[in-house]
Amino acid sequence: MKLSFYPGCSLEGMANDYCESIYAVFKTLGIDLVEIEDWSCCGATAAHSLSEVMSVILPARNLAAADKMGLDIICPCSLCFNRLLFSQKMIKKKIFHIPWHVTGDTRVLDMTRFLAKPSIIKLIKQCVLKPLDSLKVVCYYGCQMVRPPKITGYADYENPQTLDHISAAAGARVIDWSYKSTCCGASIGIGRREIVESLSKRILQKTQQAGAEAIVVSCPLCQSNLDIVQKDRSEPPTPIFYITELLRLSFNYKGNPKWFKMHVADPVPLLKAKGLL
Amino acid sequence: MHNSISDPETATEYDSCEQREFIGDRGDYFLNRIQGETGVNVSACYQCERCTNACPISGFMDIKPHQIIRYVQLGWRIRLLKSSTIWLCLSCEMCTTYCPNEVDVAEIINHLRMMAARSSITPKEKSLAVFHHTFLEELIKSGRVNEFRLMRAYYSKPDILHAKIKNGTFKQELQLAMTLLRKGRLKLSAPKSKAVKEIQKAYFQTRGEIS
Repeated sequence: MKLSFYPGCSLEGMANDYCESIYAVFKTLGIDLVEIEDWSCCGATAAHSLSEVMSVILPARNLAAADKMGLDIICPCSLCFNRLLFSQKMIKKKIFHIPWHVTGDTRVLDMTRFLAKPSIIKLIKQCVLKPLDSLKVVCYYGCQMVRPPKITGYADYENPQTLDHISAAAGARVIDWSYKSTCCGASIGIGRREIVESLSKRILQKTQQAGAEAIVVSCPLCQSNLDIVQKDRSEPPTPIFYITELLRLSFNYKGNPKWFKMHVADPVPLLKAKGLL
Repeated sequence: MHNSISDPETATEYDSCEQREFIGDRGDYFLNRIQGETGVNVSACYQCERCTNACPISGFMDIKPHQIIRYVQLGWRIRLLKSSTIWLCLSCEMCTTYCPNEVDVAEIINHLRMMAARSSITPKEKSLAVFHHTFLEELIKSGRVNEFRLMRAYYSKPDILHAKIKNGTFKQELQLAMTLLRKGRLKLSAPKSKAVKEIQKAYFQTRGEIS
């Protein structure tokens, strides 16, 4: 199986550990990822805040590049995923002139939903060498991956299940909770730190109340918000794992162990206590 | 032709009629404009406040999401564009998702933000407005956005650094940057996209400039 891969800017910078773990996991699963040639930024919040045209044509450039490759796009960052789908919808409406030749028919897959397909779950279960059955986790989806359902196509946007299924396949004990898709504050922390702190701290508090030891996420921005807010915390840290990091751990993938060091909330003590490291 | 529906704050000062805003002439025009540009049926709102209750940061807003919709119906344009709400909105789409009448509240707020960005009104949340502009500038410059370059450009904008030092958050953020740099998460340089020229051309065209 071959897929075109749209990493997005975050995976090149703040979340380069995420990118690395995605490649490791897909290699183990035997799925080829081909990076979209010369991809550019999707525009994120800024483009759709300031200029509607830019919010359509910036993702359209990447869609056009993927069209040429003729492969389905897989998108790990939930904001990019949302923007690509939004752009596709607008391209179909033919409101704006797009400077690139783009059909808008290429399928854009959200990485978690791809991994949660029954066939892939089966594959994951075969690859698991070290089940994480002592690890209690909650799954956090964030906003852009599930909402608005008209764009993302999630039918269960109030209680999404994809990350839960994948984590369960890796052997982790998944706890149900009510804050799966509550906003973490996104990029507002750059201007108004106190808002992002109040939102993220509430999510961490609810994690502890649910009895979980770690949070599983798939969005790079959610990860950095929830991670960075724990910088000055005196309590034991709640590690924020990317879903692929969790899979990588369960696959017992021998590779660069440096990814642990990139987390602000250190996962090493927890993993050592559970005998997973 | 004074209308009985007026702003609750100024309603008590009945004698200062000049400050009161009228509906009718402006209201329909502005409402129709917003509805036409966004394709959202704003008139369908019956003020159930579900959007405000769903909003994670409505507590920080000066005009709540359901009020935004009401103000659009009344045509209070200046008041909307001067609000902090349009800049604070996280675009988390909670309001849109839970509206029983399918009013796309987030889209309305987003559209107002675009209107404010093009207007001469000073944004109430200057730091957030400047951030969006800086992000787009950086994007146009290199095709991709690198966090380090973005933050450097952001801090070199007028007043931003000064305001951060004044309220004491600058030291914390510097420490955070150092932590992230040590952990290898902050990349000082990133490859540029080869398509910068294409993107710049498209961007200038959207602004009506010839390049």
